[in-house]
This record gives sequence, structure tokens and C-alpha cells, in this order.
Amino acid sequence: MFKNYFVSAYRSLMKKKFYTAINLFGLTTGLTCCILIFMYIANEVSYDQFHEKKDRITRVIMEYSFGGSVTTGNYTSTKVLPAFKRQFPEIEEGVRMTETERIISYEDKLFTEKKVMFADSTFFQVFTMPLVQGNTQTALSGANKVVLTRSTATKYFGQSAPVGKLLLMGTSKIPCEVTGIMNDCPVNSQMRFDMLVSFSSLQANQEQTYWNANYTTYLLLRKPTDIKPLQAKIPGFMKAEMKDQGNVYLTYFLEPLLDIHLRSPYDSFEPNNNILYIYIITGVAFLMLLIACFTYINLNTARSLERAREVGIRKTIGAAMKQIFWQFMGESALITFLAVLLSLAAVWLLLPFFNTLSGKTLQVNMLFTPVLLGAIAVCALVIVLLSGSYPALVVSRFQPIKVLKGSFSKSASGARLTKSLTVFQFVISFFLLVSTFVVQKQIHYIRNKKMGFNREQVLMLPSDRKILAAFATVKTELKRIPGVQYVSRAQNAPHNIVGGYNMRNAAMASNAQLNVKANPVDEEYVPASGLEVLYGSNFSEQDINTVQAYDEHTPENAINYPFIINETAAKALGWSPSEAVGKKMFLDDSRPGYVKAVIRDFNFESIHHAIGPLVLFPAQWSSVILVKLDGKDVQGQIRQIGSTWKQVAPHRPFEYKFLDDEFNKMYNAELRLGEVFNLFTGISILLACIGLLGLCSYAAQQRVKEIGIRKIMGAGVGDIVRLLSRDFFRLASISMLIAFPVAYWVVYRWLEAFAYRVSISWWIFAISALIGFFLVFITTGLLAVRAATANPVKSLRTE
Amino acid sequence: MIHLEKIYKWVNNGSNRVFLLKDINLDIQQGEFVSIMGPSGSGKSTLLNILGMLDEASEGNYQFLEQDVYQLKEKQRSQLFKENIGFVFQAYHLIDELTVYENIETPLLYHNVKQSDRQAIVADILDQFNIVGKKDLFPAQLSGGQQQLVGVARALVAKPKLLLADEPTGNLNSKQGEQIMELFLELNKQGMTIIQVTHSEKNAAYGHRIVELLDGRIDKK
Repeated sequence: MFKNYFVSAYRSLMKKKFYTAINLFGLTTGLTCCILIFMYIANEVSYDQFHEKKDRITRVIMEYSFGGSVTTGNYTSTKVLPAFKRQFPEIEEGVRMTETERIISYEDKLFTEKKVMFADSTFFQVFTMPLVQGNTQTALSGANKVVLTRSTATKYFGQSAPVGKLLLMGTSKIPCEVTGIMNDCPVNSQMRFDMLVSFSSLQANQEQTYWNANYTTYLLLRKPTDIKPLQAKIPGFMKAEMKDQGNVYLTYFLEPLLDIHLRSPYDSFEPNNNILYIYIITGVAFLMLLIACFTYINLNTARSLERAREVGIRKTIGAAMKQIFWQFMGESALITFLAVLLSLAAVWLLLPFFNTLSGKTLQVNMLFTPVLLGAIAVCALVIVLLSGSYPALVVSRFQPIKVLKGSFSKSASGARLTKSLTVFQFVISFFLLVSTFVVQKQIHYIRNKKMGFNREQVLMLPSDRKILAAFATVKTELKRIPGVQYVSRAQNAPHNIVGGYNMRNAAMASNAQLNVKANPVDEEYVPASGLEVLYGSNFSEQDINTVQAYDEHTPENAINYPFIINETAAKALGWSPSEAVGKKMFLDDSRPGYVKAVIRDFNFESIHHAIGPLVLFPAQWSSVILVKLDGKDVQGQIRQIGSTWKQVAPHRPFEYKFLDDEFNKMYNAELRLGEVFNLFTGISILLACIGLLGLCSYAAQQRVKEIGIRKIMGAGVGDIVRLLSRDFFRLASISMLIAFPVAYWVVYRWLEAFAYRVSISWWIFAISALIGFFLVFITTGLLAVRAATANPVKSLRTE
Repeated sequence: MIHLEKIYKWVNNGSNRVFLLKDINLDIQQGEFVSIMGPSGSGKSTLLNILGMLDEASEGNYQFLEQDVYQLKEKQRSQLFKENIGFVFQAYHLIDELTVYENIETPLLYHNVKQSDRQAIVADILDQFNIVGKKDLFPAQLSGGQQQLVGVARALVAKPKLLLADEPTGNLNSKQGEQIMELFLELNKQGMTIIQVTHSEKNAAYGHRIVELLDGRIDKK
């Protein structure tokens, strides 16, 4: 029995190669999308699950204020862990960590390591990241001990044994002993460092303050349920600790380790994801699956007419309805199985592309975990049941005498179903089409908006203490290269100024501070960034040198800081931009000074944010060097800068970035979203067209007699095409009426996240409609022309 | 074997009731070979479909093998149909995707016959119909006569008691037609009850008795 079904299914699939191909294509496309998304989700929800003590680990979140607004963050000072461990018996162990960049050298090898993690020796007791070589008890005890991941070990030592060797770390080349080798951090880990250095190597190790909060603290509790009672004790304890600090408020919150990646607003060492996105993308997966199923239903209901005769025969030779039903289900099972195989191959081929798109490092072998295999099996089953059952039900109900006599009339209910499915598919397509246009328009806007600063031909070079000490030389040497216009040092480049400070004018009370972003700069920052001075004048070299001379022993208030503020800051302090120059103000109270200049507002953060107040001020430290080039022969100039760099900063590899690349990176999420939308829109439109093709061929078959008669009566090809396409234009129009308002609402909400955004223009809808109609025209037109040019004598003779 | 009593069949066409069959009373004994004749539209095929349980009468009483067909439940009726009735069509109606062998085998699948038995039965009938050499061909590769031969073989493979044939020679040339009729005669001699619908006097003459239909009634001239 089974063999007979299989044989007839296989042969009927082979006989109609075109249908089989588009059927397979539709299902494979849907399934491939689904599987890729499943892999993505499986990876996201598996974050940090590999830690054996995962349900006992919590991260400490700091919340504080100095009388004003309350700030929260994923950082603590180094004092928190020892203080808490002494105070609270619930805490079994804990580890303090911080990830930074360090220059590392070994013999002739010199690299800037971006992911150097400092951690307490208890790291291995809290987290499950076993050592391949070395002892977890001692690997990180004592200063300047380092554990390497396998890849890092290979990078420095090749085949030779690393344990016991010395790496030189930092600008001062401190020797660090390699004490262990561990596997590379798993891809689904919230920390993915390349080397682990003992925390005691840091000067901050034993700090006695709660305020130098630059470290992440994880606590290992004795019982998973300890988190609530412990949480309840913290505020009281902290209140006691802070009792002589006036109106200062400081407390801590505990966040379960497993909630961090998907549910926390505070990033871990690796960027978090949002559970909301996981829900959305799960929805997308099911949508793709549904679209694929609908395409299949449409095509097969259409084809069922061709199979009607076979069904009739089978029934007259003794087949029961049930047997016909299962035969057709078997057929969908067969084609679904083929589609599963094809999509596994497609996943294998497309995974690198998907990884680029999603920013993940998923691997094909993930597919062969029970969870994913199960998910794929469930998907396949859903497809077989959902998409196979309707056509199977339709054909199994065929009346043999009707189908065999050829007086088989169209079934109105079937047409209604396939039509609704088509409308559904078109709604999705139109929705995505409109969204894509809006997303692309916003991306275009971001790329081309005048941000108020120059980001072309600006090179960003790293800065450190050694370089700063000799900055005058560095600057002179770099400026000797023809084409280098300005060399400036600053804490942040102008595209993303993040430093949070307080400010007030002389008239305001010292506890009535205003929040402000501020950036330590030098005298060439304003010209290098192309900022426009409206009133007053830029910093002079003298201004910078005065502050440079200031050190810890200089009494407070000894210097009068010059400040450059933007228009918004001037207004916030109660002055018009023109009258602000020369006014007295404070930055963080510790810096009294006066307004030296007012600059025009520019977007110093991503355009999700409106322009806020900004202060530029001279300071001793900086983390970036901006080099403005004239734009002629950039490659040649970079080469020259590189060779100068080797002379002035031999301790540091020459690494540069372009400001405009860094600027674009801020909008990675949007750019990625744009690509995702392009992709899904393309797929959904393609599948909708395939479904439409099925529906149209169904209609053409049903009306083959009518078409024949009309032709004999003198109808031309054009008349027939119009007759057949009219219905589908109506379906497309209905879909637009449903899709456009929904799309408008959704993209409106999305755009609200941007302080600066494009409008949702009417032409976006017009173009979407036009594309929709054009595709309907092409798809149905092709089939309609074929039906219309068929010889009517043939179609009528089949009666 | 068959007892039809006051069988009416009508369809509603708008407010009009169009009668396809009127007051049909017919008895057919086991082993009979009956030909149903009549002009186009006289109700021959409708009658055959009612006899073959593919269609239901609007009114009347139908007894098949002493069982009241219209009193039976759907399942029992299809069981009765499956076990006792074989159909031969004018247009052969072979399944295009299956070979000759598989076409003949299919009814046995629906009768849940074991594979080893199936092989034996199909081999027997291929032999009996002299089409062993054609068993792996597809219907499209056969002539009309050969296709009809396969059609008959398929109708007989599940050993029905009644063979219904709707113009079995309608699409065949006279020589092929003759062969099929000779075959029917032979089958009848072996005990098969046969009811055929035909246009041709010559074919009708193969049967024991002719039922003439005219405008849905049995014409008793």
C-alpha cells in the first residue's frame, strides 16, 4: 500500500516538474528561514546555561544619586565584594571583573589585545570555564598571572608550551606569567575574553571607596533562593555605610545571571539582546512557515483538479475516502521531507551569510542537537498537517461519477479559502514592502544628514599615557606629513560623546546641578571636527597648557577653566548664545571657569537622541587622537603616518580607524534591520507570487471551458487576460487596504525612537501599490496569456 | 442478485424537477449478462451508476445480494461495493502514473491483500489476459484496446460478483471492440454477472437480455 502511494506520488511529482519545483522551492525557502531563525534563537536562549552554578550566580547593579536624579549601572567599585562577603552569610563566593584593552608582546610579537579580562582568583569557582592546563586554585592568585585561551596561546606561542612563559603587558611592559590554558569562551557566553589576568594586578584591587565604580561584580550565593532575602538586606546595610555622606544615596540590586543576556537593560561584557526581539523573530519564523504552507496549499488545491480523475478511478476500484486522504498526505510528507533535506543544505550554504547579517558565529553542527532536530521535525510535521490536509481533504471528497464524467464544477468554498490565503500573503508582502521603504529612507537620512561636524577624512588613533607624555612631539611629527591638517587629542570623537557630568552657573545652588555631556579636548579639536564657533573664540594653546600644568597638589579652584559650550547648554544655563561668552560657570563643582566660546549645536550622539547640552573643556587625559587629512592620496598619507607612528610610539602597534566608519557602526542595528527587511520582503513577495501563480492556474483550469466558449464567440487574448486577472487585482487591492494602515502604525512607532526622523510619505504607499500591481500583472498575465492562446476546440472536447 | 423497485432519480433545475429515471423496476439474477440500451439522455449511465452505488436514487428501493442498499450505513455500503462490484469505463480510466502491473494491483491494495498474494493474483490475471509482456508499460504506451484490456483486468482482479461496463467499446475500433465483447462472453460463461451500457445493437446482442431505456423509463415494447 505504502509503496503504491509512494510510487504514484513520486511519479506524479516527476511528471509535473514545474509544479514540483516551485512547490519545493516555496517550502524550502520557508523552512530555511525557519531553521536559521531557530538556530539564532537556540543560541540566544542558551546563553550562560553552561555554568554549573548558573542559578546561584547574580550580578550586582549599582544605583546612586547625589541628591539629584538617580543613576543605575552595571558597575561597582572594588570594595563591594569584600564588604558584602564579610557582611552577608548568603554569599558563598564572588568575583570582580573588568575587561580592557592592553598592548601585549612576546619576543618579536606585538598585538593590541581588545579583550583582556581581569578577574579575581575565585573566577573558576564561580564560573564553569575549565582549564586545559594549570590549576584553577592557583592560576589567578597573585599579581601578574595570566590564563590564555587556546587561540590566544597559539597566536603567541604557536606549537610550543606556553605555561610558565612571560608575556609583557601594557605600555610599561610588566612581565606576566602564563599559568594556564583554557578553551576559548563559548559563543553563547556573556563574556568572551581572549585572556584572563589576575585582578590583583590592578592598582584598584584594594580600594576603600564605593565610588570608583568601574568593575563588574558577580556573587555566588549559597542557595538560588537566597537572592530575595539578600536583596532585602542590602539597602539597610548601604544606608548605614553612607550615613556620614549627606544626601548621597547608594544601593545595589542583584540580577540573576541567566536574566542578563535577554532581560537586562545593562549590557554584559558582550552586548545583550532583548527578549522582545526574540519574540518578534520567533513570530517572523512562524510567519515564514505559514507563508510557505499557504503557498503549498494554494498550489496543491489548484493541482487537485488535475488529480481528480485519478481520485475518481481509485474510488471506483475500492478506495475509501480515508485511503485517498492518507495517500495525498503521504505525498505532502514526501515533498516536505525533500524540502527539509534541501533546506538543511541551504542552511549549510547560507550560514556564513546569515552570520554576517545577524552578527553571530553560529555553526552548522548546532543543527544536530536534539532541540533543533526536534524543532525541525515539528516544523515539518506542521507543514505536512497544515498544508497537506486541506488539499487532501478536498480531493478525497471528490465524487467519482462527477470527476470521471468531466462534469466537474468548481467548488466555491475551496476558491474562497485559497483566495483568503492569498490575501493574507499579500497583506504580509505589502506590510513588509512599506516597512522596507521607510527603513531604507531613514537609513538614507542617517547617512546623509548634516550632523553639524565633519566626519570625512578623519583618522582615529589610540592614545595612552606614554603617548600623552610626548604628545607635543607626536603632534609636531604628524603635522610634518604633507596633507595632515590638524592633530587633536580628546576623550571622545565628535560622533559619540558619552562622558556624563554636572554643570551650573554661578547663580545656581550647588545641589541644583544640571546633567551635561562633556568632553576633554585640546585646541585643535574644534577645527579638526569642523565645529562652528558662533561667539567667542576657540581654546588657545596657552589655555591647554595651563590646565596641563595642574596636578593633584594644585589647590582646588586654583585654575579658572575655559569652557566651550553648545547653544543648548547656553540656553540651559539661562543665557542666550550671544550673551554667554565670559559668564562664570562650574563643571562638576570641582572645575570653576568661564565660557570662552559658544559653538553651533551638532549631533554628538546617535540621532535617537535630541541634541542636549555639551561642554568642551581642557584636561590632561584623552583616549583618542584625531588626525584630519586633506583627502588627497589618503592611502599614501596613512602609510606615512604609520611610519611616523613607529618612531614616536614604538610601544604600540599602529592601528587606525576612520571616523565615518565608527559613525556608521553606531547605526549597525538600523543597517542590519534594513538588510533583514530587504531579505524578508523579497522572500515573502516571491512566495506570495508563487501562491498567486497557483491560484491563477487553478482559476484558468476551472474556467477553461468558459474561456473556450468566449473565444469561439470572438473574445481576443486581451479580453481573456483581463477576465482572468481582474479577480487578482481585486485581491491585491483588498490586501493593500488591510496592510497599509497596519504598516503605517508600525513604522510610525519605529520612527518614534529617533529624535530626528523622516516622514512617512504618501509616495511610499504609491510605489508599494505599483510594485504589487506590477507583480500581479506579470504573474497572472503569463498564465492568462497561455490560457487565452490555447486552442478552444481542445478545451471544449474534454467535456 | 439485484432487485430495483420504483426507482426514481431527479435533479432540481431551478424550480423545475428534471427526471432522469422514472419508476424503474428491474431484477437481475446471478450469472446474467444484461445490456442496457437507449438513445443519448435516456438515463442509461445514471442507471448504471445507481446500480454501481456511485450514485443514489432519489426515491425507491434497491436490494443487492438481499441487502437493502439504502438502509445500510456508509461504511457497510462501501464494503459491499468494494467486495462485489468491478467497473469498466469507456475512457478506460487507468491511472497514468502507474504501470500496467501497478494499475491492476491497486484494487488489491484497497482490499488489504498481502503482498505475496497480490503478486500471485496479478501474475495470474496478466497471464489470463495475455499481457504479461506489457506489465511494466505505462497506459500512454498502450493502444486503446490494450488499455481497455487492462481496465477489465483491473475490474476483475479483486474477484467481484458483478461487472459494470459503461460503453466499454465506445472508444475502440470494431476489431478491438469485438475482442472485449468475446472476453465478456467468456467471463460470463465462467459465472460473472455483467451489466453493460451500450449504443451498439451488435454488442448488445452478446447479452442474454436487453433493457431498453427511453426518457428515463424502461421501454417495454
